[in-house]
Amino acid sequence: MPIQIIAPAPFVTADDEGDDEGGVRLDFDNDGDIAMDGDAPRRAAGRQAGGIVTPGEVVTEDPQWMRGHGTYLSQPLSGGSQSIISSLAGTISKTNKLLSIRALKFRYVPEIGDLVVGRILEVQTKRWRVDIAAPHSATLLLSSINLPGGILRKRTSTDELQIRTFFSEGDLLVAEVQTLSNDGLASLHTRSLKYGKLRNGVFMTIDAGMVRRMKSHVLTMNTSNGGGEVDIYLGVNGYIYIAKHTTPLTESGGPEGKSVSITRLEEEASEAIYSNVNEDISPETRAEIARIACVIGALARNGVKVDEEMVHLGYEAALEEFLQGMEWGGDGEAGKRVVDAALAKRREG
Amino acid sequence: MEGLRNDGRRWNELRRIHCQLSTSSTNADGSSYIEQGFTKVLCNVTGPAEPSSRQKVKQDAATVSCEVYFAAFSGTDRIKRGRNDKKVQELQTAIQKTFSSVILTHLFSRSEITISIHILSQDGGTLAACINATTLALIDAGIPLKDYVCACTSAQSTSIFDNEGTTPDPWLDVNYLEESDIPSLTVATVGDSEKIVALSMENKVRIEMLEGMIAVGISGCGKVRGIMDEEVRRHGKARLEAAME
Repeated sequence: MPIQIIAPAPFVTADDEGDDEGGVRLDFDNDGDIAMDGDAPRRAAGRQAGGIVTPGEVVTEDPQWMRGHGTYLSQPLSGGSQSIISSLAGTISKTNKLLSIRALKFRYVPEIGDLVVGRILEVQTKRWRVDIAAPHSATLLLSSINLPGGILRKRTSTDELQIRTFFSEGDLLVAEVQTLSNDGLASLHTRSLKYGKLRNGVFMTIDAGMVRRMKSHVLTMNTSNGGGEVDIYLGVNGYIYIAKHTTPLTESGGPEGKSVSITRLEEEASEAIYSNVNEDISPETRAEIARIACVIGALARNGVKVDEEMVHLGYEAALEEFLQGMEWGGDGEAGKRVVDAALAKRREG
Repeated sequence: MEGLRNDGRRWNELRRIHCQLSTSSTNADGSSYIEQGFTKVLCNVTGPAEPSSRQKVKQDAATVSCEVYFAAFSGTDRIKRGRNDKKVQELQTAIQKTFSSVILTHLFSRSEITISIHILSQDGGTLAACINATTLALIDAGIPLKDYVCACTSAQSTSIFDNEGTTPDPWLDVNYLEESDIPSLTVATVGDSEKIVALSMENKVRIEMLEGMIAVGISGCGKVRGIMDEEVRRHGKARLEAAME
């Protein structure tokens, strides 16, 4: 007979633990081991729980399935058959005959074409190491950034010596994943005017899985209360940067929309592109940037995926409730209220 | 009362276990909080991430490292335990060794998984609570594990001697008073199997009592697994429902 363990008091109801006579004494079988009851009830219970599997749970014993991510094979039994066991807590996904488990929360895995926000960790001779919240830091080669002076400029050894003038440790940047090596190391590039150094704003992180993949991950929002336009860089890796909207061309290249030759455009843009100096940001803009940051944090914290629609709805909701005391990162009651209001708005359509 | 322990439990009764996942909103990948009786532990897991130093790079697997911090106010006496404290080092090594064997480290070559544990209150079974908290935080971080690692303590009361020569029942899940009074051990198993991944005992005990103690500990681990699994499922369900909205 197995050893009976009494569950902690608050969870015990009068009838579910059976005898109240102080449990069952140890029972040794012939080889001195103590017999245990099998794990059958747990596994049966797991099946009914509606979609969620937890580590150690047998997903299937059927040999027709192939094991994918988040699973492993059990030790072969005497019959040679192996069962597929989950190694994560998450949902089962089936692709043809491939069984994999999608974890509820996971670290970012880079994919080619992802827009990511990163932070420079280290400056090396011809490259930077960039933290992109992945298991390994990414590299950004000197040859894959826009050098000041236009697209046709040749990379020289002077640039190598002046590498810190472009990016130095701690700088934030927005980039695209250009290539992946065999072992999943990402290499980034910023060879577009959309990418480059980030300034004039605030950096925040959410869980990587909470950013929905979209057509465009750079949003420009018109804010209320005189905040003006605000850019939101929603990195697929869960790093987010919210900044005052800037048009790099207005400084010297004239107002937006004015036709500038493409090479001229590059030149003009690159002057300011590696600047470390923030522009003047009005208190109104700062307040709206902070509000957007709180909204995004609250969405992620309450398990709602962040995308363009939800940021807009969340922002509207936050304005309407005119919340006081919404906490940084979106924790707490106020954050929850905003998210609920945003979801209600979406249901209304 | 006859047959009851100093806190009113029976020999095979667990203390109240309260656990939570995703407790921290900082940049930790996974976090958890567990209370076993009055033992309270907070755990944060980061990783798999770039190793913090070159020595920690393993070409074919992830390195598991562990940091344990005792809050000065956690025990009965106010004691500050530094990094090099023997007890701290012992706990760190035990947890690091235990989880290195259970995490599927081969999936994350040249990276590091950092477990950081804060002990907020000690009332017996500190190592067990640390192991349970770590399991939950790792699950929350989405790091693949072979199974839950569950730990439990058991002790052999030597004060009661039986005339017929039978050993008295071992006590399950000791509190601080019992732990300092009678020989106890901590056992950790992989899931509710009988596979032991950690076994620690700091006292002397008669050899014939050991088996009973381990057996009771293992059964306790099975029960603890059930309680933790329930919380993981509850948490997961809540998260999924929010995502469905």
